[in-house]
Amino acid sequence: MLGLLGDQGSDFAHKVDYAHDIVTIISVICTVLIVGVMLYFAVIYRQKDGKDHETPHIHGNNALEVIWTTFPTIVCIWVAWLGYDSFVDMRTVPEGAMEINVTGRKWAWDFQYKNGKRTTGELVVPVGEPVKLIMRSQDVLHSFFVPVMRTKMDVIPGRYTYEWFRPIKTGDFQVFCTEYCGNEHSKMLARLKVLPKAEFERWLADDSEAKKLASMKPSDRGKEIYAGKCIACHSLDGSPRVGPSWLKLFGRKGELSDGGTYVADENYIRESILNPAAKVVKGYPAQGMPSFQGQLSDDDITGVIEFIKTIDGTTKVDVAAPAPKKSAAAAGATPAERGKALINDAGNLCATCHSIDGSKLVGPSFKGLWGRKEKMSDGTEVTVDADYIKESIYKPQAKIVEGYGPVMPAMYEGKLSEQDVNDIIEYLKTLS
Amino acid sequence: MAAHSSSHAAGGEELNYLNWKTGLWSWLSSTDHKRICFLYLYSIMVFFILGGIAALIMRTELATAGPTIPSIVKDPHTYNVFFTMHGVFMIFLFVVPGIPATLGNFLIPLMIGAKDVAFPRLNLFSWYLYVFGALCGGIAMMNPVDTGWTFYAPYSTTTSTNVSLMVFAAFILGFSSILTGLNFLVTIHQLRAPGMTWMRLPVFIWASYATAVIQTVATPVVGMTLLLVIAERVFGAGIFDPTKGGDPVLMEHLFWFYSHPVVYIMVLPAFGVVGEIIPVFSRKPLFGYQMVVYSSVAIAAVGFIVWAHHMFVAGISDFSAKFFSIVTFLVAVPTAIKVFNWVSTMYKGSISFKTPMLYAMSFVFLFMVAGTTGIYLAMLGVDVYYHDTYFVVAHFHYTIQGGAVIGLIAALHMWFPKMSGKMYNETASKTAFAMLFIGFNLTFIPQFILGMDGMPRRYYDYPVEYQTLHTLSTIGAYLNGLGYMFALLNLAWTAKYGKVKAPRNPYNSKGLEWQTASPPPHENFDTQPVVTEDPYNYGTPHHA
Repeated sequence: MLGLLGDQGSDFAHKVDYAHDIVTIISVICTVLIVGVMLYFAVIYRQKDGKDHETPHIHGNNALEVIWTTFPTIVCIWVAWLGYDSFVDMRTVPEGAMEINVTGRKWAWDFQYKNGKRTTGELVVPVGEPVKLIMRSQDVLHSFFVPVMRTKMDVIPGRYTYEWFRPIKTGDFQVFCTEYCGNEHSKMLARLKVLPKAEFERWLADDSEAKKLASMKPSDRGKEIYAGKCIACHSLDGSPRVGPSWLKLFGRKGELSDGGTYVADENYIRESILNPAAKVVKGYPAQGMPSFQGQLSDDDITGVIEFIKTIDGTTKVDVAAPAPKKSAAAAGATPAERGKALINDAGNLCATCHSIDGSKLVGPSFKGLWGRKEKMSDGTEVTVDADYIKESIYKPQAKIVEGYGPVMPAMYEGKLSEQDVNDIIEYLKTLS
Repeated sequence: MAAHSSSHAAGGEELNYLNWKTGLWSWLSSTDHKRICFLYLYSIMVFFILGGIAALIMRTELATAGPTIPSIVKDPHTYNVFFTMHGVFMIFLFVVPGIPATLGNFLIPLMIGAKDVAFPRLNLFSWYLYVFGALCGGIAMMNPVDTGWTFYAPYSTTTSTNVSLMVFAAFILGFSSILTGLNFLVTIHQLRAPGMTWMRLPVFIWASYATAVIQTVATPVVGMTLLLVIAERVFGAGIFDPTKGGDPVLMEHLFWFYSHPVVYIMVLPAFGVVGEIIPVFSRKPLFGYQMVVYSSVAIAAVGFIVWAHHMFVAGISDFSAKFFSIVTFLVAVPTAIKVFNWVSTMYKGSISFKTPMLYAMSFVFLFMVAGTTGIYLAMLGVDVYYHDTYFVVAHFHYTIQGGAVIGLIAALHMWFPKMSGKMYNETASKTAFAMLFIGFNLTFIPQFILGMDGMPRRYYDYPVEYQTLHTLSTIGAYLNGLGYMFALLNLAWTAKYGKVKAPRNPYNSKGLEWQTASPPPHENFDTQPVVTEDPYNYGTPHHA
């Protein structure tokens, strides 16, 4: 009725919301009544001349006491029942629910399906099917909270807990960790992806990724990740880009921006990937790198470290192949759709630093960007139009939005055509 | 310098507890309950201010998504340290000793017509224990703790920060609390003036009595728990650590077995304060005195068996969750009874709106919000959604700040004439009240909405769609902070430089504490008072 808790994604969500609505209505009425009566008394019995007046000697009233003991008791029983009823639903797992193993660890969520398929940071489920999550923790307490499903349960080391839901709509939804677990607690997020049943089956059966990873040398895996996520800011030939070059990085010693020193061993590299702001090498921007917390698995990180160890000055890597562009064009897509594909193309790296949901990453979000007036770091104001975007893509350092660093790599001249940029602009227009 | 006569100090002023001895040592070695009240008051204010600064730093950091003040809060760890500091300082060093030890010390002997508490030297010792505990806590902040005030294992048993010392500090503070509780229990049992029967006790005394029972009975459990945490960290005892066969959920049970009743240690005395203020300024007997008394006792009793409502999603059995939900609703009923009786006391009164009355009336509103939002959290299915979101944060700030702290500030105004011998400035006090009241609601109403939208607590960063509400909350926090600063500075300034001397009984109250001089002499009453009537015998007896 009131819709205070937002979207309902599971079949018991409406029951929770109903209980919530009832107690909201009762609470508002009671508060307004009691505070209203208090204010009414305050007004009509106020001392109008600042003197004490004769008052009646009322000590109490037994009938009233009985009424206002009984009435709240009855309301409480009713409301307790509503809470109880919705709870029973969310603790009673239907027969034949699909089971998924969930592991919480500082600071990411791992999922494993019955057929062995694994994901990190993304839970994919089919719409309309009951899903039971069997959860455990590798280290400290965590809690798996899916607001849209109205469900939550702590994830505990040394024992299993569970929660379940039956999604009633497809889409992408937020998952939070809600039990405090240390430094990156607020980054311990995951996406819940609810797919149509057939699409889910295809996704589940697709083990090409896993097969490829299983037979891959760790350093090759790291090389692939480098090409997709790191190449824009870290060179392999010793030249500084936004971040330090990876040439002869492993074992390197140097000074940090806060005056301390670092040794680039496995743990330093791991920390720099997960919490880049913790130890910034002197001379590089403090907020220059986004965290890859939750995006890379432990094996991925090990792969990157192994890759770094192999870099010897002759190593060459190309930016990940821009395959989606062709397929999008082949599908006869609209300019905006082609633009979207370009933005999401791993090889172009846009999404690493620019969000489309308004959240602030390394660069400004694309949401609402088109037509916005932006203040520049030199104090001037610029309206975001086609010329500005073109300039920002080809010559990123020309104009910097206030509050951001000059960290975008100048690598798109020749990589993206005029047509590509126009497509991107068409897509940005749709995000306002 | 020796006093000139038995009843006048050097300046020809009446001799009272403030001036009968002078010098810092005369305060630090005083066993006078009224002076010990001030020792507590000044020490808790230090931590109120530090905890408040930590809160404002947190709120500033949260004003925008992403890093807001990287020069102060340089990483998530720093933020975690600030919220731990805020919680530990506010709970263990400000609110828990706040009303019971501060106001209880000043008011209990005066209200029951005694010369002092039963064990005056033990009373001073409790304060020194508090100071020792506070110092340990302060030293622990050198390698600041990042566990949150709940010290949940296994995070607290594995983090590299100074948890052992901080937990030891809380352990020492617990002893201070137990000894104060015992002292008050014996005082109320043994030192009541002739004629002060149990059913003539002011409701503040009843509330303090219920509080003292909880302090004495529940605090040893948390003491034990905290020692176990130290045993775990230092000796690897394996009680809470699952890798050694321990159980982290056990820690939660032990922690909340104390920390839920402690909520009533914080708020019951505030109920007592409101029960004292409303009759005086309405010129009416407290409506349903006996029901108000019994409800205090009932809340204290039921408070012991509801702890696991903090743990509905902690992995306890569904049966336990259902049991604890139902008993939790039992707390709602006596709380509601209190509110009804306070409001009914105003019926056909002759009401004046001095500052204490404004605080008491705002308390009724704030506590209605606190109580009704508590209902959501007692409801199983709804709590699963709200647990560990900003809804919970807002709810307990309405109870603890809107309840306990507002109660404390109300009491400081109410008994200011008795404590300092001066009258406070009504205009300044009412302005401070308005700032504080608006600021408080502006801080926490947005947090209820954030909770409805699913925003988890203890987050250094958040998705950008929550930003507007966070910004509003931050603005409110600043206004709230300014209000407190103004209210307290106003009182402190008036106590020292105020010109208006307080008469013996400025509000024309029936309370025993008002029948002696303002400020009272060292041993409270010149002659032994004898009680002959009910505590709130206002109004014309045959007018009803």
